[in-house]
Amino acid sequence: MRRTALPARRRLHRRALLAAAATLAAPRAQAARTVTLGLTPVFLDSDIVLVRQIEGHISARLGRPVQVVKRRTYREVTSLLVAGQLDAAWICGYPFVQHRDALEILAVPLYRGAPLYRAYLIARQDRGAATLAGLRGDIHAFSDPDSNSGFLVTSAMLADLGTAPGAFFARSFFTYGHRNVIRAVAAGLAQSGSVDGYVWDVMADLEPALVGATRIVQASAPMGFPPFATSRQADPGLARAFRDALLTMPETADGRAILATLRLDGFVAGSPGLFDGIAALSRRARAGG
Amino acid sequence: MRALAPRRWPLALRVPLLITLLMIGIAAAISKLVLVRLEATQAAHVEELSGAYLDGLSTALLPAMIRRDPWEAFDALDRSRARYRGVGALRVLVVLPDGTVLAASDPIRHPLGAASPEEASPAPLRLEPGAATAWIHRAVSEGGVPVGRIAAEVDVMALAAERRATLLALVGVNAALTLLFAILGWLLVRRMLRPVLRLSERLGRAAEGRLEPIPEAELPPADTEVGRAFRHYNAAAAAIAEREALLTRLAEQERRALVGRYASAMAHEVNNPLGGLFNAVRMIQRHGDDADRRSRAASLLERGLTGIHNIVRASLILWRGEADARPVSAADIDDLRLLIESEARRRDLVLDWQHGIEGSFPAPAQAVRQIALNLLLNACAASPPGGRITVRAGVAGGVLTLVVADEGPGLPVEARRLLTDRHEAGVPQAGGLGLWTVARLVRELDASVQLAGPPGTHVTIRIQDAEHRAQLPAAA
Repeated sequence: MRRTALPARRRLHRRALLAAAATLAAPRAQAARTVTLGLTPVFLDSDIVLVRQIEGHISARLGRPVQVVKRRTYREVTSLLVAGQLDAAWICGYPFVQHRDALEILAVPLYRGAPLYRAYLIARQDRGAATLAGLRGDIHAFSDPDSNSGFLVTSAMLADLGTAPGAFFARSFFTYGHRNVIRAVAAGLAQSGSVDGYVWDVMADLEPALVGATRIVQASAPMGFPPFATSRQADPGLARAFRDALLTMPETADGRAILATLRLDGFVAGSPGLFDGIAALSRRARAGG
Repeated sequence: MRALAPRRWPLALRVPLLITLLMIGIAAAISKLVLVRLEATQAAHVEELSGAYLDGLSTALLPAMIRRDPWEAFDALDRSRARYRGVGALRVLVVLPDGTVLAASDPIRHPLGAASPEEASPAPLRLEPGAATAWIHRAVSEGGVPVGRIAAEVDVMALAAERRATLLALVGVNAALTLLFAILGWLLVRRMLRPVLRLSERLGRAAEGRLEPIPEAELPPADTEVGRAFRHYNAAAAAIAEREALLTRLAEQERRALVGRYASAMAHEVNNPLGGLFNAVRMIQRHGDDADRRSRAASLLERGLTGIHNIVRASLILWRGEADARPVSAADIDDLRLLIESEARRRDLVLDWQHGIEGSFPAPAQAVRQIALNLLLNACAASPPGGRITVRAGVAGGVLTLVVADEGPGLPVEARRLLTDRHEAGVPQAGGLGLWTVARLVRELDASVQLAGPPGTHVTIRIQDAEHRAQLPAAA
């Protein structure tokens, strides 16, 4: 009994090992690579729910796992995107024009029916200043050195006045978030700030007490809304699928939930020309600097 | 005012008062100790809590302080507010090494770049008694290089309120306990002192001459202190009563002896003229027809009867045993002479009798007569046959002076002490009750006694009139 039983068990073992090796090797070769999407802080204090919603929606549309990668500064996200370490990112118009050659627009959000937004100069509610000139000597809060509304617009306006932030303001600092600019001004840490008009408007609804402590001193002309972009080096198929996922977002329930959270209407394909105004601001600012 | 001096207060008040004072002292000491310990515990608690708070805060603030990033620093402070609500931080400042504010929990009050306020300067934690807030500090460094410090003003009102509540509780409880112990002490001491006060009250009555024993039924058990004291009191009361009875008996005996002696003296005095009287009667019987002889016999009868009458009257006054409070008069002194003459004659003594009393003198006649008679009898007894007894009585300046002198061997020492020592109340061991009576009466009259001799005995008694005596303080 022992002599017949032993070879039978050996055969069984060999088969099992081969099957296991095949099972382990196959998914590794065929597994869909995780798609990465870069984000910078928008307006939510805690955006974990939003991040999961976005990951879920795009993953469903692409049929591939999606991971949102968050970084504190625009520069970090832009650098990762340009370097091809992110498949896509929601970036500001200013980094886009800075890296126009390396980046390609996937889609531009529609805010109040248009892919446009404004930059606001804000101050505490009790300030009497009516224009940027009235904010001279302030402690000023900027959002990010690579933010259009949070830095470039004010710098360009100051350049137009023949000055620069360092000279015009008594002191300035970066908060790395439009929401933080509003908090800094509302708390009195800064006397004025440069902020994304879209964020200020949405926050006025979400946190009226906080935003109510500030007022708009001056609003800029409409400019191209921060776009979703990808590297020109990226897989064109993936880029197409990504763009499609964004453009069809209003068509799905989870997509509409995301848009409702972000107070957006949808997406348009957009074009580089939408950001020409920002490019002009950049030139004016550089000329002034 | 002296009556209000604390040592004159009753024990029932003094002991509870003492207990109260002791309780207040103990309560104050315990309260102080508790408060000091509480303050130390609170300070340790604040140190511990603030230490944990500052540890967390400095960890969160360190990167911002290194980079001197005002937003990061403010953001860290802002977020810590909810996390460390229990610490009760009212104001938090992040101060750079140059003394300027990098961030503050209240940026409007302490703007970016402003100088740190004086009160936020580094100092050890102190919980001031009335202070609502206290400052805590933490120096922050990285790799040994100072990057700034954190100063926080924390609310210590709750701690102060806790100390105040503790103090109030201590004061309340201690006051209640003190009051309770004072009342208990008062009740207990009153209860404990009740027998002593009763004894004291009875002893007080003894001074008035009423030393009454405590009835057997009211005696506490014999094995208690009070029981023993009460029994000692009863024994003393019994001894004094016995002594008084003895004295009364002795005095009665002495009086009877005197009565006996004077009954015989009086019989002698009455008997002396009786022979003459009988002669007179016989003369009338025989020669009654002769008017001249009858008249002489009648005259003789009258004189003899008058003498007998005088003797009987004086004896009646002296021995009728009644209190005779009328003022002493010259007749009282003269009566004494009648009484003593027979004794003097019997002993063959010479009486040198002079007195300058006119009218009366305000002193009880019976007492004065008793004093004088006893002194005279003593002088007669002490004088040798043929001796002279000198009697002088006079009034001057409201003082009756009575002098009785003899030529005897002089008074023995005990007799002298008996007369001159005002507190000597002992009864003579044998005889001499006459002098003891003199001494007793002299004390009662508050009179003075002066003795002279030997040779002889010279006794001078000075009695002030009743009006003068009334002005003197009552004899103890």
